[in-house]
Amino acid sequence: MHHVATTHDEGKGQYFWVWGVLLILTAVEVVLAYRQVFQPVRMLEVLMVLSIIKSALIIGYFMHLKYEIAAMKWVMMVAVVACLCLMGIFFADAFRIIHLGVQ
Amino acid sequence: MATGEVVHVHAAPQGFIRKYIFSLDHKVIGLQYYFLALTAVFVGMFLSLLMRVHMIWPTAVLPLVGEIKPETYLSLLTMHGTIMVFFVLTTAPQGGFGNYFLPIQIGAPDMAFPVLNMLSFWTTFVAFVVLLAAFFVTGGAPLHGWTGYAPLSALTNAGPGQQLGADLWITSIAIFCIASLMGALNFITTTLDLRAKGMTMMRMPLTCWAWFITAILGLLAFGVLLSAGILLLLDRNLGTSFYVPLVVVNGQIMGHKGGSPLLWQHLFWFFGHPEVYIAILPGMGVASQLLSTFSRKPIFGYKAMVYAIMAIGFLGFMVWGHHMFMSGMSPYSAFAFSLMTMAIGVPSAIKTFNWLGTLHKGRIRFQTPMLYAIGFVSLFVSGGLSGPFLAQPVLDIPLHDTAFVVGHFHLIMGVAAIFGMFAGTYYWFPKMFGRMMNETWGRVHFFITLAGTYCIFMPMHYLGMAGQPRRYSQFTELAYLQHLIPLNTFITYAAILTIGAQFIFVINLFWSMFKGPKSSDNPWEATTLEWTTATPPPHDNFGGRTPVVNHGPYEYSVPGAPRDFVMQTDPASVRTH
Amino acid sequence: MSDVAVQHGIAGAYEPSLFGTYSKKIGMWLFLLSDSLTFGALLFAYSYGRISNPDWPTPFGKASIANATIMTGCLLSSSLTMVLGVLAARRGDFRWTRWWIFATMVFGSAFIVLHAKEWSGLIGEGMTPFKNPWAPNVPQFGGTFFTLTGMHMLHVTIGVIYLGVVALRKKFLPVLLALWLIVWLVTPADSIFHIAVHVLLVGAVVAAVILFLKPKDYDAHDVEIAGLYWHFVDLVWMFIFPLVYLMSTRV
Repeated sequence: MHHVATTHDEGKGQYFWVWGVLLILTAVEVVLAYRQVFQPVRMLEVLMVLSIIKSALIIGYFMHLKYEIAAMKWVMMVAVVACLCLMGIFFADAFRIIHLGVQ
Repeated sequence: MATGEVVHVHAAPQGFIRKYIFSLDHKVIGLQYYFLALTAVFVGMFLSLLMRVHMIWPTAVLPLVGEIKPETYLSLLTMHGTIMVFFVLTTAPQGGFGNYFLPIQIGAPDMAFPVLNMLSFWTTFVAFVVLLAAFFVTGGAPLHGWTGYAPLSALTNAGPGQQLGADLWITSIAIFCIASLMGALNFITTTLDLRAKGMTMMRMPLTCWAWFITAILGLLAFGVLLSAGILLLLDRNLGTSFYVPLVVVNGQIMGHKGGSPLLWQHLFWFFGHPEVYIAILPGMGVASQLLSTFSRKPIFGYKAMVYAIMAIGFLGFMVWGHHMFMSGMSPYSAFAFSLMTMAIGVPSAIKTFNWLGTLHKGRIRFQTPMLYAIGFVSLFVSGGLSGPFLAQPVLDIPLHDTAFVVGHFHLIMGVAAIFGMFAGTYYWFPKMFGRMMNETWGRVHFFITLAGTYCIFMPMHYLGMAGQPRRYSQFTELAYLQHLIPLNTFITYAAILTIGAQFIFVINLFWSMFKGPKSSDNPWEATTLEWTTATPPPHDNFGGRTPVVNHGPYEYSVPGAPRDFVMQTDPASVRTH
Repeated sequence: MSDVAVQHGIAGAYEPSLFGTYSKKIGMWLFLLSDSLTFGALLFAYSYGRISNPDWPTPFGKASIANATIMTGCLLSSSLTMVLGVLAARRGDFRWTRWWIFATMVFGSAFIVLHAKEWSGLIGEGMTPFKNPWAPNVPQFGGTFFTLTGMHMLHVTIGVIYLGVVALRKKFLPVLLALWLIVWLVTPADSIFHIAVHVLLVGAVVAAVILFLKPKDYDAHDVEIAGLYWHFVDLVWMFIFPLVYLMSTRV
């Protein structure tokens, strides 16, 4: 393999930290869910927030997006997040199905 | 980054197969896409001819299909839509012209990933073959229209074409999604990474901007359709119930339960509406390029044009629900979708205004490419104006599923995009083949096609308002539609004439390829990079050198300049606007 | 196929990249962007089905959750070894890169094996894509579960093959074929994995074609983009795990 110089060799330490935090967050999720700490809707919100934090850690550190230039960060993240948020509009109809009593 | 970026440029290939079949050269791949689309458009056109003839003479026995039964008609309709939307409107402007001219116009030796480019074409080819295979299997081609609405598409016993034909249809679409994804990420990376020195984003020709934004739309939209298609295949073959509620077919209760046909519509149109812009944006790019070149004027409001393309791309993702006003969708989301759809008229109007501004007081050269560019604007406006009607739920409810909608989308998405392709063909033909196309026959072709398409699609608006539904194979028996038969007959005759005129184009194309007068390197006196290189361009586009760009793309009629145009590669010392 | 290299850098003949990095990385990111929408659409389809069917079953007990938690741990740890592999490749440390990639592949394979065992268990309990023993009125439960996890497992499998090709190139092909044969022979003929294992065969053929078309050494950039793909697979699981498993824990 060719040697490729880099401008940001940050050392290994931070990756172990991130890994540890991810494992702890997973453990928190499992405990919350298994103990049924919250009502289902609240539970969903809490789990999603934790998952978004976890994915932010993975994208930022493991996938190195933190070290890419601003244009790349913003264009990519805004595009995918916007599209996923838009799909939330589907749910208006999912709820209607219950109210209309469709089988 | 200090990392030395290495762009792999393959050596010129040897041997027929590496040169013309499995070529890595974006120019050859572009032509492959173009001729694939040309084949597809004739298949699609033939299907539409059969449908039009059947509508007027329901009992006529037609070549290849015999007497058309209602289910045959629906098969024709499905295949016409699918072939035209996927294998013509998506393939030719982006895969064909985009592949050929995006790298040249930005000064790159090839696309960023040549192997991926080749794979993308051959995957598209496989998708096309799989789709055509649906004609020949038991039961024939599917009946569910190009939109494949569930539950019809999700049940294997809902009709003769819903057996293996529908499976092949979905498989073809899924393969096409993968091909388009490969193409899209290649286009985006090429635009981001391989622009020649001086070719800043704001110096790119509007064609490149259009291809770039189209690729972004494709990248974000096709993945969703892929998922939707996988779920549909599972519903059909593994008995899952994503899209199918409790249904009874022919008195028999199906095993499905609890699914929602609306989910398919949402997923499909989440892809489907951006797809409309995938079809039309490259046409807009070509029209902008040609209007400026042949008016000998800089494009009116270059930056506004760029931002309008971006805005159309952005808003294009937020309006898919306007296809679903009649589906039982939540009225609150219908309100939001209606609002966003009206908003998309704003960037579209900006573009139209700028095109007219470009023409205003220009020294217009009425050559064939220019005629088609003007035709594009005309069709875009005509088709676009019926958009605001359909964008409002209140008006959409009576007009939905009538011929009004057929007229609307054929004008704006079908014919306008095709005019963009014609414009591109007549304009870039000298660069692609080193010869000029016949001007006289080009004009004849233009005037017949323009008049013909208006005669076909304009009356459809009246038919729709008079209540003629779409997708009906026979209506001559229905009393309330009797008075519409003469107008329908007129449309069919116009269609026959227009389709006949396309043979003028094909003959002109192939005749000029071999017998046309030789062209110079820059026959239109245009400014962009493809006109600085040899004709046809060498394997690495610029013969071993990389152009240096000093000017914007539309420097025409510059006061004090030696010629009435300043090439993008002219020395920086030349003063421009 | 001889490649002619053109230097493209700050002093090159081209404009600097708008995203300030090399093409292959941008290409991979764009692929992941579209793939995240593919997964997104599947997750939204699942959520849609779940919202519109109020009797959604919640069958996952202690054993299932423990198993899924271990799987999550495997994937997270594989991400750590992968990132260490990428660091080693950047240093030019060829040996360690390989070892870290092997570790990643081991974790990934462990994930697949655990997942496959779980699938077998659920199928044994009577769960299929169109019915499940817990809620006969909600056939979507099995369909969404198998679709989501199946699609993800396919991605993990492709990822393991991808990493194997990057680390071992042509030498990986016999390993892959041996794996295919072993799994095919040890799984009973009526098991889903008896058929699904052919993914490995298809993967081997595709890998062979790619290695034939581009017979090259994989450098630090290639390791990095393989890592991007791998982390993405991990990322998707971070949403599938809570949505599919944790939201369906048995009360």
